[in-house]
Amino acid sequence: MASGPMEQFEIDRQVDLFEIAGQTVSWTNSAFWMVASVVAIIAFFILTMRGKLIPGRMQSLGELSYEFIADMVRDTVGPEAMRFMPFIFALFFFILFANLIGMNPYAFTTTSHLAVTATMAIFTILVVVVAGVWKNGFKWFKIFAPAGLPVPMYAIIVPIEIISFIARPVTLAVRLFANMVAGHVMLKLFAIFAAYLVAKGGVTALGAILPIAGTMAIVALEFLVAALQAFVFAILTCVYLNDVYHVDH
Amino acid sequence: MPKQNGQSDTSLQTDLDALEDKLAAAKARRDAKLGKDDKDDNSLLGMAWRLSTELLASVLVGLLLGWGIDQLFGSQPFGLLIGLGFGIAAGFMSVFRTADAMDAKTGHIPKGDARPELEDED
Repeated sequence: MASGPMEQFEIDRQVDLFEIAGQTVSWTNSAFWMVASVVAIIAFFILTMRGKLIPGRMQSLGELSYEFIADMVRDTVGPEAMRFMPFIFALFFFILFANLIGMNPYAFTTTSHLAVTATMAIFTILVVVVAGVWKNGFKWFKIFAPAGLPVPMYAIIVPIEIISFIARPVTLAVRLFANMVAGHVMLKLFAIFAAYLVAKGGVTALGAILPIAGTMAIVALEFLVAALQAFVFAILTCVYLNDVYHVDH
Repeated sequence: MPKQNGQSDTSLQTDLDALEDKLAAAKARRDAKLGKDDKDDNSLLGMAWRLSTELLASVLVGLLLGWGIDQLFGSQPFGLLIGLGFGIAAGFMSVFRTADAMDAKTGHIPKGDARPELEDED
């Protein structure tokens, strides 16, 4: 059993596959749980897509999740952004399932690694840049220079806008990663504390009630955070996609 | 035969309409009981996380860019300091912008400078 609070985040190289430029590519526990969440998502939507006119319980789950993401894209960006809906749908469900699977005992939380969240965040922002240039040409770079300012102001505003644009993938990645790590460390610390108190025996064992209650409260909070962070990542992707369609804001 | 089909179709239509009416009535009753649907998706926790990470990330990005420029041109402390200044400015700008958008969404306050001049600013 892992006894340190950080041991749960350790990457375990299970099989070394091949080498690229001196770096070994391995099959790790992280890779296993990522594949597990993708398989779980596919299984979920196979189960929920029966296609009956009057949906059963499972089918309405699937339909509700489709409607939820579709409404989110339509409300925050507009109907013209519906071509990005599959991307946002995939992002949301991958993060949601990875977070929820990570809540199970013995499972590994893939979203607690900056490498995973940063990959998703960088890809998201690259999608925004590429789609923006694709759609608007080089006029897209006007988002860094809002119109109607006195000319000397641009020397200050343009660097500020560029910095805040570069900060977007950083916030996306760090928020998800920090939330998952903080929650899981807290959970582990409370649980370890309870275990120590019980092991002491005698009157101190009674004190274990407090950390056990705390652990239960944090588990509830963590389930909320798991769903909330998936939602936040998806809705911020929509907000950033706004820049593709509305260059003059 | 087509007449009969038409008849059955209209009866189906009325059935669906009746169901629709019943549903609308039930929904209205439920809304009246529960009050308006005012749960906001943007929970306070999410808002707090969003604002704080935005501020922090902008400062860090500005600092790193400044440091990188220092490394390129050997202009030791100045790039870092100027980058830090721009980073802080960018952080505050994006926090204000985000808070403005949140206000507009939850409090139905018009975005930007278009807000009514009812309350004193200070």
